[in-house]
Amino acid sequence: MPFAGFNMPINYKTGIINEHKNVRNHSGIFDVSHMGQILIENNESYLHKLEKYIPLQLKNLIKNRSHYSFLLNNDGGVIDDLIISNIDIKDKPYLYIVYNASRKKEDEEIFISCAPNAEKIYNKNCLFAIQGPDSINVLKNIIDIPNSMNFFDILISKYDNNEIIVSRSGYTGEDGFELSIPNESAENLITDLLKNENTMLCGLGSRDSLRLEAGLSLYGHELNENITPIEAGLSWALDKERLEDKNLNGNKILSDQLKNKLSNKKIGLISTNKSMLRDGMTLFDNNYNEIGKITSGCFSPNLNKSIAIGYIKSEFNTDNPIFCEIRKKLELVKINNLPFVKKNYKKNGSVHE
Amino acid sequence: MGAYMSEKKYTKDHEWVSIENEIATIGISNHAQESLGDIVFIELPSVGNSVKAKDEICVVESVKAASDIYAPIDGEIIEVNNNLENDAAIINQDAENEGWIFKMKISDSNQYSDLMSEDEYKKFLEQ
Repeated sequence: MPFAGFNMPINYKTGIINEHKNVRNHSGIFDVSHMGQILIENNESYLHKLEKYIPLQLKNLIKNRSHYSFLLNNDGGVIDDLIISNIDIKDKPYLYIVYNASRKKEDEEIFISCAPNAEKIYNKNCLFAIQGPDSINVLKNIIDIPNSMNFFDILISKYDNNEIIVSRSGYTGEDGFELSIPNESAENLITDLLKNENTMLCGLGSRDSLRLEAGLSLYGHELNENITPIEAGLSWALDKERLEDKNLNGNKILSDQLKNKLSNKKIGLISTNKSMLRDGMTLFDNNYNEIGKITSGCFSPNLNKSIAIGYIKSEFNTDNPIFCEIRKKLELVKINNLPFVKKNYKKNGSVHE
Repeated sequence: MGAYMSEKKYTKDHEWVSIENEIATIGISNHAQESLGDIVFIELPSVGNSVKAKDEICVVESVKAASDIYAPIDGEIIEVNNNLENDAAIINQDAENEGWIFKMKISDSNQYSDLMSEDEYKKFLEQ
């Protein structure tokens, strides 16, 4: 199916549910080469300009670590969510940023305006994710990975005499790695990974159900330019000191939101029967007042029920019943804490809360 | 192969119909189940309802999307496949036999002859 200008598989031959379960129990490989990857020279002038958009203290980013963050507009709304890493490549310090395919145009306009010599590398480097508890063992047979590597650590390794960027990360709630590898070695790497009989190629369908079970937000669904990270329940990812910095877009709005009650809150929902909750469905209270909307919904293979993420009015008392309109009928749904499935990251400190 | 396999025909909405003694058995084609992917839920029609051809009468939910199932011809719903309530994936395993969805008593058998034969359906899929 067409996705952000790419032809992407929803699933490979065994289907979404099977791919999903294989990632939770063993491992699965996602080709995410459609995503944006850019290298920005790590110098003070560029960092200062980028700090207008990115709510982190960029000069304090720890070497060989990745951070989940955002590009923010004037109102503190999310232009995109991204992963930003501090890493040396051929002895030169860089920020390596991975961002959404659907937001390349908006993001790159900002990156280039801050750092004119920023280098987009997604045309020469593929990006693969291997996700699931077995990922480390599958990968270790092929690439050097130090035992001390934690979730959101990032380093340079070698494959086929090429340097590749290896980060311990992903978007499934499982342990896993993302590998940025020059195109000419990409096919060999996939072939090597697939020699493990318990791994398989996975498509966009299982990527979505895995991230939803893990309660992770997706741009265009939970996040957009009219929603701030605080409204999206992601204030943990903001550097609170930066909210006092006038150089940060929307800093006043964001610091006010932190102090005051928000009008909406993000919630997890689970269906009470077998019907499917899907993006765009409306939520009602028992007097048929509209109280919110679903932003993502899917079938959860782990819970064997449909699950969803959405926004409801903060004033709504969640002890009261919530109904979802499905094909003109109201179906009872239940609030479920996020994430739906426990995250399984290898870490000492915390990454995603 | 069950008796309902006799003289199977297909609709443009990717349903199959087979008729025996004025009773039509209806399901979705194997091609349809492949495109839908894992089927997780089916909302079955109500027994006793009289329906017209092209009426939306029930819904198949897969991990990808919800798909309406239409009545292929006029008639009355007389039986539904209750096994699908507990295990809708039967449709993925055997769409054109065990995965039948409902049966109807048909009112106008001429409508049946307007449907596609298996060969015609195959050609339709290639278009």
